[in-house]
Amino acid sequence: MPGTLGLRQATAAAALAIAALVAPLPASAAPPETLVIDIVNEPSSLDPHMQWNPDSYYVYRNIFDNLLTRTDEGEIAPQIATEWTYVSDTEIAFTIRDDVTFHDGTALTPEDVVFSVERITDPEFGSPQLGQFSSITGAEVTGDNEVTLTTETPYPALLAQLVKLSIVPKAHVEEVGTEAFNLAPVGSGPYAFDEWQRGVQVTLTRNDAYWGDTAPFAAAEFRAVPDAATRVANLQAGQSHLVVSLDPDLALQLQGAAGVEVRDVLTERVGYLNLNAQKPGLDDVELRRAVAMAIDKELIVEGLLGGFDAPIDSMITEVHAGYGGGVEGVPYDPEAAREIIEGLGEAADREFSFATSPVFDQRIVQALQQMLTDVGLDVSIEMTDMSTYLSKVRSAPADAPDMSFGRWSCACQDADGVLYPLLDSDSSWSKTRDETFDRLLSEARNTLDETERQELYHQVNERVAELVPFVPLYRAAILYGADANLVWQPTPNESMFLNRMDWSE
Amino acid sequence: MAAFLAARLFQAMIALWGVATLVFFLARMTGDPVLLLAPENATEADLQQLRVSLGFDRPLPVQYADFLAGLVQGDLGRSVAQGVPVADIIAARLPYTLWLAGGALVVALGLGLPAGIYMGVRRQSRGAKALMALVYAGQSLPTFWSGILLILVFGITLGWLPTSGARSVSSMILPSVALGLLSMATFARIARTSILDEMPKLYVRAARARGLGARATVVRHVLRNGAIPVISVAALEIANLLAGAVIVETVFAWPGLGLLTVQSINARDFPVVQGVVLLGAAAAILLNLVADLLYSAVDPRIRLGGRAT
Amino acid sequence: MIARTLPRPRPALWPFIPILAGFVLVAVFAPLIAPHDPDAQNLLGRLKAPGTTARDTFYLLGSDELGRDLLSRIVHGARISLAVAIASVVASGIIGTALGMVAALRGGWTGTIIMRVVDIVLSIPPILLAIITVAVLGPGIVNVVVVLALTRWPRYARVAYGQTLSVVTMPYLRIARFTGAGPVRLLWRHVLPNIIGPIIVVATLEFGLMVLFEAGLSFLGLGVQPPTPSWGSILSTGRNYVSTAWWIATFPGLCLFLLVLSVNVIGDTLRDRVDRGSD
Repeated sequence: MPGTLGLRQATAAAALAIAALVAPLPASAAPPETLVIDIVNEPSSLDPHMQWNPDSYYVYRNIFDNLLTRTDEGEIAPQIATEWTYVSDTEIAFTIRDDVTFHDGTALTPEDVVFSVERITDPEFGSPQLGQFSSITGAEVTGDNEVTLTTETPYPALLAQLVKLSIVPKAHVEEVGTEAFNLAPVGSGPYAFDEWQRGVQVTLTRNDAYWGDTAPFAAAEFRAVPDAATRVANLQAGQSHLVVSLDPDLALQLQGAAGVEVRDVLTERVGYLNLNAQKPGLDDVELRRAVAMAIDKELIVEGLLGGFDAPIDSMITEVHAGYGGGVEGVPYDPEAAREIIEGLGEAADREFSFATSPVFDQRIVQALQQMLTDVGLDVSIEMTDMSTYLSKVRSAPADAPDMSFGRWSCACQDADGVLYPLLDSDSSWSKTRDETFDRLLSEARNTLDETERQELYHQVNERVAELVPFVPLYRAAILYGADANLVWQPTPNESMFLNRMDWSE
Repeated sequence: MAAFLAARLFQAMIALWGVATLVFFLARMTGDPVLLLAPENATEADLQQLRVSLGFDRPLPVQYADFLAGLVQGDLGRSVAQGVPVADIIAARLPYTLWLAGGALVVALGLGLPAGIYMGVRRQSRGAKALMALVYAGQSLPTFWSGILLILVFGITLGWLPTSGARSVSSMILPSVALGLLSMATFARIARTSILDEMPKLYVRAARARGLGARATVVRHVLRNGAIPVISVAALEIANLLAGAVIVETVFAWPGLGLLTVQSINARDFPVVQGVVLLGAAAAILLNLVADLLYSAVDPRIRLGGRAT
Repeated sequence: MIARTLPRPRPALWPFIPILAGFVLVAVFAPLIAPHDPDAQNLLGRLKAPGTTARDTFYLLGSDELGRDLLSRIVHGARISLAVAIASVVASGIIGTALGMVAALRGGWTGTIIMRVVDIVLSIPPILLAIITVAVLGPGIVNVVVVLALTRWPRYARVAYGQTLSVVTMPYLRIARFTGAGPVRLLWRHVLPNIIGPIIVVATLEFGLMVLFEAGLSFLGLGVQPPTPSWGSILSTGRNYVSTAWWIATFPGLCLFLLVLSVNVIGDTLRDRVDRGSD
């Protein structure tokens, strides 16, 4: 909106403006009226069904309630659905809260839940999230406060996916249409949409009629600040209360500063080195093992990542459903790696391409390259923008790079969302063609028996350690910078609930 | 004059069509936005479904015809990522870009021209040398570095100015300085160079021989004749300031068109990319036209029409 | 008389030519000068201050975020930064000047088309060209030069065009034409010497800008590929450490400053000589 930086202010006395507007946020013990949060980019859309990216999620998740949620510890918990029971292997009945109202004052009903499911799974609507919910074949109101969802086959990750299903008001969306809803979303969450200053910030105001916990902040501003160094500066200057996405070295800068703190948590995200097992040289499991042996995960985590992250030998962690204990990965042994590579001779003697993108921590990528160089491999980094990177690493094995760095999160805390795309022969991410993997993954995907799933995924993890289709490196921490008075615990699924925040006296 | 303007406007339309076509096909050489829109674990089928619903599965000529048809009606289309008309997005960002470009131009011209003229006229003086050092210093700092230094000094250590954002007039100061310092050097050097070019010329000697004072000679004659290269560069520089503030906008989280351009290119949000580039092209073409008109105003020897022989 | 009021200047060149020559020598003999391998990491010796020794390595200018010797990286970075800047200035200068002169001299449709292409290219954001180049040709040093040359030639073209326009009306050029000088000879012997001054001024300004542009591309993740050091890439990483490890950004920044300063002063002097030659 031009008016915000318009003639009115421009013609006002500059000195007055500076004095009035530059003053840092008051550092008193009282909670601020407006909580200021610096995210990376502005949300692409606040219609919860229209996009899928972290910056939008941070904001819209406070405007909307979801069918289910997770506790800070990561357990699946009630939100709009208070309880759920399996009617059969392919049918779940959800009891819907009857005391929830949308911000426009209308009551949230089971019809809204059914509408939300149908909207996001409608191919015509074209939701980017369609794939997460496409297993749902039916949604029906089956009682006063009951909705039953049907899936084609038993789908164990369904509840984990429903944590991401936001409930939108049927009557309102149908009345105003998708375009208007996108501009002024109406939800039932703890905060209501107030204003979107394009490119600058989104302002939310507290929903005082909220059925659940409320926060002490009357309003919240989400500002887009793309440069991490600037986000840190904003926090240090007292111009924001919470900033997202810091790297460990920037976090160090905060540790010495007064009144601000680093908040970190281990997430469900795992950093890994993908190996293209269909490329010459790397089609030999010996070379892939040698690559794994060359990498000192401990040194990367302790020396480079400030100890925030944790070395790991499998792609799933204890916060993933289907996790049945850790496995022993390929041990760090550079001497043995060097011997293997020398022994392979010609087969290992070529330039290996190593794809990465600026969004990843380049220090890790360079450290990996150095470790591989040290054992006698010729590895060259190819950094391209994210879109180009994605299309390269997701292309057919013959066209894909030899190696790539990645950080995987399905945002569902379920083994299926991690191991299936990374290993199944039909997945574009996977450069592995192995029938055993395909069989194990398919069996695990089609059973609701948690013990059986854990057993199957454990076998997958052991086979990964044996065949080395990729090298799991570390479980990633997410680092936030926060005002020391802000009471808030980040969660493994990288969510940010304003109504779970408080202000300490 | 009218014929000249009509011809130039016709050429401008052709050029805009050229830009539109070029950017349409260039952008599509970089893939499509689907991979970035969908969650990581979306399957190929999911991606294809998304492509269909966004219309990226259609043959390129069809998409191009669609785009041109919209353009003729003044419709730039809808952002793929945001689902909002491109015109609305640009309209929201444009004022910030103009403010920043204006601020930077004030800094650049306000400091650069006087410094350049002084350096040209009093070339050997100590003051000129000191000024030159300052001008060079401003020019040789990458903005992503000087920007963060400005933030640290004026935003954190001194606490005088906002560290980033676009909340107030005061938050305009640091980005304007960071952006303006680069152009300041350009203006100062060009001003100085053209003054030096003019000083030895006959008309200066003639003016002096007529008994005109040194100061009056500079003001009445040298500045006027030395203005051509300055105008030529200024037109380019304004276009640069309008379009090229990418890094400054990134560092200071300034919501201008530069940042929008980078973000929409990175997101493969083609309609936005096309809109921003077309706007930039229209502005650049207009500025060039203005520069050409000014050429002929300050130097009647240059005839309009680009045919000088 | 005018000579007394406005003495023909002779800028003091002595500190600048040695500085530039020094950088060139450093770039040429980088492997001999650098005390350590510029890519050798030491993850346990990260961010060490200048003058410290860690794990038997003496870091004269400190170590960077991966424990690499900053001095060695700056020495090797001189190579990349100079090479990229020189190559892109030469490429864009030749293309732009030639097209600008032709446009002004030929006029008519040729001139119009060339100058409108200039307008078009000027209005394509460099970042778009950079991303396309990287997406289509792949990343790397050569492609950084390609991006810079593609984006920068219109500047020379505009200046060459403007300058040539004011030269073509001069009597001597008409005489040259009248006496039957061919177009190439006309451009080379009569036009170029008269417009080279401003072109060199632009080129020197551009040279510094190219070093900065390369740095900007590094900042946006589109520059030379890691771990290859360039002053720009060191600086763009170092900016994140301004308050925790000041040396990473300061030393390459200082080198960059001295380089740009020297080239600009030398370019100025060259301009004077060219002018005198045509008097």
